[in-house]
Amino acid sequence: MPEVEYTTTARLPVQTIWDFVREMDNWAGFVAGYQEHVKESESDSVWTLKGDVGVLTRTVKFRVHVTEWSGPERVAFTLQGLNEPLQGGGGFHMQQDGSGRPVLPAPARRGLLARWLEALARFFLRRRRGAPQRAEVPATAEAGAARLTFRLRLDPGGPMAPMLNAMLEPPMRAAAEDLANRILGALEARPAERA
Amino acid sequence: MASEPARWDLEVDVVAAGSGLGAVCAAIVAHDGGQQAVLLEKAPKLGGVCAYGGGEVFVPNNHKMRALGLADSDEAGRSYFEFLAAGFAEPELQRRLLDNMRPAVEYFEKEAGVRWLAVRGLPDYYSPDAPGAAAEGRYLCVELFDGAQLGPWQRKTFLTPHFPLGVLHEELYAWGGLAKVTEWNYELLGQRIASDQRAWGQGMMGWFLKAALVDRGIPAHVETPVRELLVEDGAVVGVRAEQEGRDFFVRARRGVVLAIGGYDHHRELARRYEGVHDWNSACPPYVEGDHLVLAGEVGAALACVPPTNLAMFFGYQIPGEEHEGKPLYRSSWECGCPHAIWVNRAGQRFCDESFYKDYQPRLRAWDGQKQALPNQPPFLIFDQSYRDRYPLGSFMPGQPLPEELVTQADTPRALAEKLGIDPDGLEATLARWNPHARRGEDPDFGKGSRPWAVRLTGDPSYPNPCVGPIERPPYYGMRLVPVGVGINSHGLRTDADARVVHVRGHPIPGLYAVGNSAALLDLGGGYQSGTSNMRAITWGYLAGRHLAGRS
Repeated sequence: MPEVEYTTTARLPVQTIWDFVREMDNWAGFVAGYQEHVKESESDSVWTLKGDVGVLTRTVKFRVHVTEWSGPERVAFTLQGLNEPLQGGGGFHMQQDGSGRPVLPAPARRGLLARWLEALARFFLRRRRGAPQRAEVPATAEAGAARLTFRLRLDPGGPMAPMLNAMLEPPMRAAAEDLANRILGALEARPAERA
Repeated sequence: MASEPARWDLEVDVVAAGSGLGAVCAAIVAHDGGQQAVLLEKAPKLGGVCAYGGGEVFVPNNHKMRALGLADSDEAGRSYFEFLAAGFAEPELQRRLLDNMRPAVEYFEKEAGVRWLAVRGLPDYYSPDAPGAAAEGRYLCVELFDGAQLGPWQRKTFLTPHFPLGVLHEELYAWGGLAKVTEWNYELLGQRIASDQRAWGQGMMGWFLKAALVDRGIPAHVETPVRELLVEDGAVVGVRAEQEGRDFFVRARRGVVLAIGGYDHHRELARRYEGVHDWNSACPPYVEGDHLVLAGEVGAALACVPPTNLAMFFGYQIPGEEHEGKPLYRSSWECGCPHAIWVNRAGQRFCDESFYKDYQPRLRAWDGQKQALPNQPPFLIFDQSYRDRYPLGSFMPGQPLPEELVTQADTPRALAEKLGIDPDGLEATLARWNPHARRGEDPDFGKGSRPWAVRLTGDPSYPNPCVGPIERPPYYGMRLVPVGVGINSHGLRTDADARVVHVRGHPIPGLYAVGNSAALLDLGGGYQSGTSNMRAITWGYLAGRHLAGRS
């Protein structure tokens, strides 16, 4: 099952990031392929995304259930596909000072096609939505810097799962990177929010 | 008609417009004959229609089948093509095609490193009863192609949305064909996807593009559509292309090859020329009939064969499914499986649903009394037994089907009412179908009687691999729409050297057309899978030789 993690840093108070992330309406539009989301409760929502699966695009509906609200550091969720045999989970992890380590181990070196598909996914994301305009703060421990990590795991079901695993990881990686950068980019665009 | 510009941006011997099989073959052979060639491609990626297709090349009596000890003869091959043509082929063009198809595929193996395989166990469409038909061996495909061999072009080649990346034909059949898609080896496919091992048409284009771009250094320009042919003293001497919004003038000292496919994505042209009310396409969305405008401006003659029984399918678009930013249309193969039939609005069957060569002309049946096409649109009808066993497009058994696409009901009558089909007609059809189907029979249309169809969509666990009763609720139905695959009835008239012919009958100096841009006068009134690629290779080879002065 593909599992990706992306971490980026910004000179922002972690509380600011938390306040932004905890309200999904703030960043829903930053999710790659976002079509719509419907909040059913504080913890449950139904999302519709257009996602790249290899060389084609599918519209996927899934339910997200937040399993952990631990402000200002952690949100965790599970997801369940409604029109595709898909489940998974993930979360946001926020830390001040950039001193934390990624929760997941560093990804293994991937094949050329995986890197290519990732680059392709990134290319399409930018063509559709424009590149996130932000310069990342160097990932060194620095006073006033905060680290935002986004993790996502997808577990496709059905007989084609082994093939889908190979196809899903590249666009997931690009989407995780894009989401984290757009969230911090939006906050950095507010001068008053800088740490 | 424009003449030479004040300044050329690029000067070569041969401009190949397009980057599918015909263009690349012409460029390779011209290059090997000492000519400087360039590929100008409208799309952002290379590979053309061929990259989207099944990658079969139909060559009777080919060297690979002979190496396997499979018997065939040139005479049998000619008989089969005469049968396909049904009297609509031009004898000189067909002779030229058949005389050169084998030298062409052998040339690209020896000189360009294309690794052919003969497909075992796949019969000709009309086997066993058509004159000259063979039971296996005439289809060539390629060995798996490693995408990394394309170097910087790896990311700029089309991958098909219609087939999994790395399945060889023989593996497909060994795994049970399309009916057994749930049992394919997806572990292996995942590994091949991760390492970019390509099969089908995208694999074949990989071999040819590597030979052209990497091995020979033939330059290619993507997102560079040819907008106009430039003429001097009646001869085509170059093109005005467009690059980044500006004119890009390319001189072609020897000639220009139009190999930019047909007109599948020019819906108006397709509707008029193919004689249907609606038209959609499974091709890349850049195939828009540009060749007809470009060559028409310099006096080219148009030619056609009957559209009645070429390669066209009926299919559907899964809501939300896109490719290259456009809705993706899929050909429907579901009708070839057991527990599925087609009916018209009267609720009546009208064809062997497992054999598209049978259903296509029957779909075009014209009711002269009512001035109507009674069999259009067709409706796919199936039951829960189908859903438990077989996929629908990319929806596996057990996966919910989109309501926008598939209608569901507890009885055939209720299903018919929801779909706008005559309920009495559908009930009567199933009342006749089911008793026969339980015995594996279809006395009305012979579903499952063609070995080719059985190989492709049949379920070998049934007495008749294409037939099963439709009697287990819930019942499902969906309306289908025409889906083209780039093989059109109209094209440019060409001569025995692939030169485009003027409306006054003489060849236009410096202008060639190959592949689906050239009218199918060499095939005539019929089609057989793999002949489109074979035509592209053969006429590309002949055009390249003529451009190099070797004809």
